[in-house]
Amino acid sequence: MTDLLGPRTSQRPRTVGWVTTEATPAAPDASGPDDAEVGRRFAAGDEQALAWAYERWAAQVHGMAVRAFGPGPDAEDVTQQTFVSAWTGRSGFRPEQGPLPAWLVGVARHKIADTWARRDRQRRAAEAAAAEAQRLPAVGPAPVDSAVADRVLLLGELDRLGQPQRGIIELAFFADLTHTQIAERTGLPLGTVKSHIRRTLERLRDRLEVDGAALHA
Amino acid sequence: MRHCTPEDLGLAALGEPLPADEAAHLAGCARCGDEVAALRRGVEALAVPELAAPGPPVAPPPGLWAGIAAATGVGVAPRAHVVAASAPPAGVPDSPPLPVGAGPVPPPADPPLAPVVPLRPRRSRVLLAAAAALVAGLAIGAGAVALRGGDDAGGSGVPVAAATLDPLAESDASGRAEVVERADGTLVLEVDLAAGAPAEGYYEAWLLTESVSGLIPLGVVRTGSEQFELPAGLDLGEYPVVDVSIEQLDGDPTHSGVSVARGQLA
Ligand SMILES: [Zn+2]
Repeated sequence: MTDLLGPRTSQRPRTVGWVTTEATPAAPDASGPDDAEVGRRFAAGDEQALAWAYERWAAQVHGMAVRAFGPGPDAEDVTQQTFVSAWTGRSGFRPEQGPLPAWLVGVARHKIADTWARRDRQRRAAEAAAAEAQRLPAVGPAPVDSAVADRVLLLGELDRLGQPQRGIIELAFFADLTHTQIAERTGLPLGTVKSHIRRTLERLRDRLEVDGAALHA
Repeated sequence: MRHCTPEDLGLAALGEPLPADEAAHLAGCARCGDEVAALRRGVEALAVPELAAPGPPVAPPPGLWAGIAAATGVGVAPRAHVVAASAPPAGVPDSPPLPVGAGPVPPPADPPLAPVVPLRPRRSRVLLAAAAALVAGLAIGAGAVALRGGDDAGGSGVPVAAATLDPLAESDASGRAEVVERADGTLVLEVDLAAGAPAEGYYEAWLLTESVSGLIPLGVVRTGSEQFELPAGLDLGEYPVVDVSIEQLDGDPTHSGVSVARGQLA
């Protein structure tokens, strides 16, 4: 009964175990296993896999960090913390849910958002100190940059999404694909992509309305 | 009046064009417009260039791995020539960094780090909390045991620093840490932990640098009070963060990434 769909399904998977925006293949490296094996060994706690992962993907992670902060200490912190957290938190990596480089990029997004939040705290502290030093009339604490706080909150919410919802919304947010392009890329029906997008956006909206309000208070 | 479908409102929030009749309705309908605005807030927070899929690779400076090795205890190392070859040698993108969302903070004035080992401690307090957040299903036994109270190591030393241990993530663990100096000059860290028994594994205490470029394992903590003699010559200014993690009985001596309580010595 699948014969009718045979030609199509042979071209495109009808279901996706995972969808990703960042499965950049590693440069050929005759001396190590393939990327999937590196991911499995990473998840299993093989230290060599961390070194291989660094060889293959540290430049991608650092490229993101430098794009966000320019070369320097903040970018280096992001890259360093990404690999430290990825390793210490490796029990959160599921090889069957997606490739290791995509997961590393997700961790890097958290570190970038955390660094923005830290800078925002420093900015407010500096402004408060400056106001104090100039004996300005008290105007209350400098406002939190709500976009900065929202990012930290919502990246955490993305972590809670299962597949294929997470891959779909990442393609929309981070690869800037339209829902039509996402359907083509994943082989999922258009209606399925649209309804996953809607549900995820509603979930993010709800998260902001419940926790964002308290965060910004 | 027939409103836009929820699916179309979602696409509109992403900035995708709608069919003409839907777009016309949306332009004139406050209810649909409000919904798009509410959905768009998440799009605007996350769909930013800085978080986009990786662009041009940039080889990290050679010294960066040392901090990762120090923080994880991993004994192997990547091959430096392979890392260096993974990106163009210039190592700097053509375009200047994008403006960040954190307001008018100038970029750090200090120049890029020379390959110093390990990286000098910096500001981040976030440390392993995000890693802990990544661990699905972290479950901590409910019902905190009452804190035993901060008795000063039996009065056998002079208090030099103390920290309140605040719960992290979904943890109910909390407590207090105090460093006392004994008459012979040794430093002792006393940890009072109030926490339910972990569902699996055990609690371990650590001292961390602020940037987690260094971790010092102290030992197993049970609920109640534990004392740890600190290594001679340890600079508490360099390792000011007391961290309590959940470790599994897996023979892995490194930090699990699952921290339940943390505080800064002062
Ligand atoms: Zn309407």
